[in-house]
Amino acid sequence: MTCGRAKELMATAWATGEPDIDLRAHLTTCSECAGEMAQLSLLWERLGDIPAPEPSAALTARWESSLESMISARRGTSWRFSLSALWPQRPVWQVSIALTCLAVGLVVGSLQSRGGGTSEIAQLREEVASTKQLVALSLLQQQSATERLRGVDYTAKMPAMEPDVISALVQAVNRDPNVNVRLAAIEALTKVSSDPGVRRSLVSSLTTQDSPMVQAALIDYVMDARDKDAMGVLKDLTSRQDLNPLVRQRADMAVQRLTEYK
Amino acid sequence: MNVQVNRTDHELMTAVARGNLAGMSDIYQRRHRALFRFFFRLTGRQTVAEDLTHEVFLRMIRYRHTYQAGDGFEAWMYRIARNAFADQMKKHRLETPAEEGQLELVASNRASAFDDMSKQQDLATLYRALRQLPEEKLELIVMSRFQNLTYEQIGQIVGCETGTVKVRVFRAMKEIGKIFGELRKEKAS
Repeated sequence: MTCGRAKELMATAWATGEPDIDLRAHLTTCSECAGEMAQLSLLWERLGDIPAPEPSAALTARWESSLESMISARRGTSWRFSLSALWPQRPVWQVSIALTCLAVGLVVGSLQSRGGGTSEIAQLREEVASTKQLVALSLLQQQSATERLRGVDYTAKMPAMEPDVISALVQAVNRDPNVNVRLAAIEALTKVSSDPGVRRSLVSSLTTQDSPMVQAALIDYVMDARDKDAMGVLKDLTSRQDLNPLVRQRADMAVQRLTEYK
Repeated sequence: MNVQVNRTDHELMTAVARGNLAGMSDIYQRRHRALFRFFFRLTGRQTVAEDLTHEVFLRMIRYRHTYQAGDGFEAWMYRIARNAFADQMKKHRLETPAEEGQLELVASNRASAFDDMSKQQDLATLYRALRQLPEEKLELIVMSRFQNLTYEQIGQIVGCETGTVKVRVFRAMKEIGKIFGELRKEKAS
């Protein structure tokens, strides 16, 4: 055994209180190591006689106070602490989470606008339009001319007219006792002037109308619609002496205009 | 305060790391004396040793998330203690060795240990020799002789091989012997 190894074993012997067999053997052959062992072992023992100091009671009081305040502070912020623990501390992860949330939001929004969202909105629009038609038809049945006028106004605001509404407006032109309602109905039907059925109904209405204003409005309608099928009716009007002269002139002008159209 | 004898330091500290700070109370009861003595023997000052002891328990709570079972609770605690001591030394260099009077003050409660006057004088000289050791050697002697830490644990705490610790302890003891001899000669002359 080397003296270097013996030094390690001496340190072990101080800690355990019993020298190793190999160390004992070395000490019998090495007087230098034996001298060190004797001197330092005694010193090691004497170090143990240095009294162990005691902390004051103030230390414990101070610690208990600190611990208590930390525990109560933690109770107050426990929910905030738990939430903050979920949020990563590294900026890289924070940015990643923010971008992921943005991407998810865009994808979900895009899917909604393409799929179910569109059909739901369309369905909703249909329901609103249907409700408006019902209201309009209901208003057109009212006894009050003002209400019927509101009904006609409702139909004029519709983007597209359903057959029921067109039929109700044609009925209003033909039968409504109030001239203003009839005039408003003719105005509303200009939206569907391309419909031959509507034009035919209104041309036939020309022969039954007694109000010059309504007759004039109907003549303008067929003239704007360039409905040459109305030529015969218009010519008949120009020859009728019981008609208002202004109406006859307007019918005459319509015949000329329609004749000019090729 | 009742110490929960059934729970090991590791179990208590694991609970503290999970947020049960009340567990620190038991750890304090078990460990505060040893830590105080560790610091007292390093600094030779009662108030500084108490401040450092308090600081170590605060740091245990502050750094509880770093606790791992690996090297054991004791090694973790002493690593924190060494760091606290190093920080203290940076702030307030404790160059003045503790006075002999402090040893006598500490020893006053143990009169039986000092019944022999010459023995008492020898012990005071030995204490002075200990205080004159360089910081690193003093730390090794304190841990191995007074704190009853194994050489393996000391190796884990200071970060070196067990064999290296043993050799360093031997050298530190030899230096104490040398200083002690010189101090005795001074006194004799």
